[in-house]
Amino acid sequence: MNGAQHILEAFHRHSIDTVFGYPGGCIMPLYDALVDDVGVEHVLCRHEQACALAADGYARASGKLGVCIATSGPGATNLITGVANAHRDSIPMLVITGQVPAGLIGTDAFQETDVLGMSLGIVKHSYLVDNADEIPAILEEAIELAQSGRPGPVWIDIPKDILLTDIAAGAPELIQPQAPQTVDIRDAMTLLRAARKPLLYSGGGVSLAHAEDAFRDFARTSGLPAVATLKGLGNAGKHNPTDMGMLGMHGSRAANRAVDECDLLLVIGARLDDRATGRLDGFAPNAQMIHVDADAAEINKLRPADIALRGDLNAILAAFTAELADAPLAIKEWQTQCRTWHTTSGFHAADNEEPLAPITGPAFIRQLSRIAPDDTVIACDVGQHQMWVAQYYRFDSPRHHLTSGGLGTMGFGLPAAIGAQFTDRNATVINVTGDGSFMMNAQELATIRRYNLPIKLIVLDNQCLGMVRQQQELFYDNRESQINLDDNPDFVAMARAFDIPALRIERTDQIRRGIETILAYNGPMLLHVAIAREENVWPIVKPGASNRDMIDEPRRTTAKKEQVA
Amino acid sequence: MNPQTQSAMPSYTLNCRMAHEAAALERLCQVVRIRGFRIARMNMESVGGKLDIALTLEGSRPIGMLQSQLEKLHTVAEVVLDGGVLQSRSA
Repeated sequence: MNGAQHILEAFHRHSIDTVFGYPGGCIMPLYDALVDDVGVEHVLCRHEQACALAADGYARASGKLGVCIATSGPGATNLITGVANAHRDSIPMLVITGQVPAGLIGTDAFQETDVLGMSLGIVKHSYLVDNADEIPAILEEAIELAQSGRPGPVWIDIPKDILLTDIAAGAPELIQPQAPQTVDIRDAMTLLRAARKPLLYSGGGVSLAHAEDAFRDFARTSGLPAVATLKGLGNAGKHNPTDMGMLGMHGSRAANRAVDECDLLLVIGARLDDRATGRLDGFAPNAQMIHVDADAAEINKLRPADIALRGDLNAILAAFTAELADAPLAIKEWQTQCRTWHTTSGFHAADNEEPLAPITGPAFIRQLSRIAPDDTVIACDVGQHQMWVAQYYRFDSPRHHLTSGGLGTMGFGLPAAIGAQFTDRNATVINVTGDGSFMMNAQELATIRRYNLPIKLIVLDNQCLGMVRQQQELFYDNRESQINLDDNPDFVAMARAFDIPALRIERTDQIRRGIETILAYNGPMLLHVAIAREENVWPIVKPGASNRDMIDEPRRTTAKKEQVA
Repeated sequence: MNPQTQSAMPSYTLNCRMAHEAAALERLCQVVRIRGFRIARMNMESVGGKLDIALTLEGSRPIGMLQSQLEKLHTVAEVVLDGGVLQSRSA
């Protein structure tokens, strides 16, 4: 068995049955081995960046390891953005690249790049294999490492000659995950019971730890008002009455006010990212903080914790829940206050839009949220539409919301949707994108067609880079610079060129029928939604400002209410 | 950064033991740089498949933050801070 065959053998041992890749010169031995392998489905994307992002989407939606494969040189460099995306959001990913033969490394050989060197800042770990006999052990270690503790991408770069070398070593023993250590929560419970205005603040760490059920039990038992980061949306469930949605730069005034006034912040699986906290010295100024996280390096990184609990979120949340089961918190007044804030200044788009008025992002997303099934997976891109989804779509699980949080990668959504669809070919998967983001990985329409994936594509088209335009308007004296996209292609014709049916809507009264049409269609379909260029995401906190200073939408002018002719 | 600013920085010595793998030192130095520290002096010795590295670092951020980031590296076995802040020279 050669090195390439050992890789497939490791896939089988770890039940890895789907990988995303693109062949090329130095990875050919692995593609040759794939010819004889029936247990691994290889998904051929049309760009290596999309391979990495599809593997990312697959991992987010399934909770399993995402795997992507590419060749040396440009194959590897094209993976970089997708791997960095996974790194910033702690997504478990295995990256395998071919490298020029070992003897040619360092000679500026054809399609040679220093992959190990390039990978350093964007991986949990990376390897350059220099001995074929090391392949089984490295694979075993890499697969365990990518998924353990705080997950992340692990990259193995393998010279072509080593992929072809027969290996004497047999399969290594499976690395057993470490049992979680017991964490003492007594001090944290004392602090929680003493608080009059405690607030639950959760992030992406909940789903990364597979702790969704434990979190929900705790949220329900404690009755704590809850806010979430972008990646934490869905943690509390769609029907949790104490959920106040997203905080931060584009969070609701209600959520930010609750953070501002709380006296205890219980942070679960969140890293206090600047987009969530705003200016740190104005963040939760009256609160003590209990920080629960799997990663010791996140504790005290940006704000000192009064109590830090590092460990397995499942075990810690279960311990909290058990403590509260017989002695609930006495926070009724605070709960009522938060509910009032949520009702008066949470995200509630107007229901009675003029039927002939132009479509607004919030109105569209709210209807989508009402119409789409509860288990729909929404893969977003990056920009205004991403924030409207975060504000107005009600998620029942964090695994239903695929969004590029840390890196903010335009072009993420379409390949991520492809990855998600491969976790369940019958699931409803929707890519909500903008006209800027859509064009970043539009070549993947060919992948959707090739595999006949029933993905629904919704392009919210304002003919500009809306988020950049918005910030130029608000913070750069309205000096628009390089944001105009009014020469976009005809997206309907473009989809049809890939044999994907499409339709266009532009008026409020067309929203429902448009959504119902694409959801009812048995196959991929694109909905082109024309929205107003000047629409902004509200509220907004100026970058670097305190969340307390968030800016609300000015009163709409009548011009914005003009009907579509 | 002017020399006066540099000399005002607190200085620390970290002793680090890590596996002698490809790019081990690069990985260490990359984390030091991106987390806001400057290497003033570095001494490295290879001992039985391990690297023992003594780093003298300057930086205005909390050294504990860097220490915990270095400890996360898969190849790092141990990071020990030598006696806290060694010096804090005025400009």
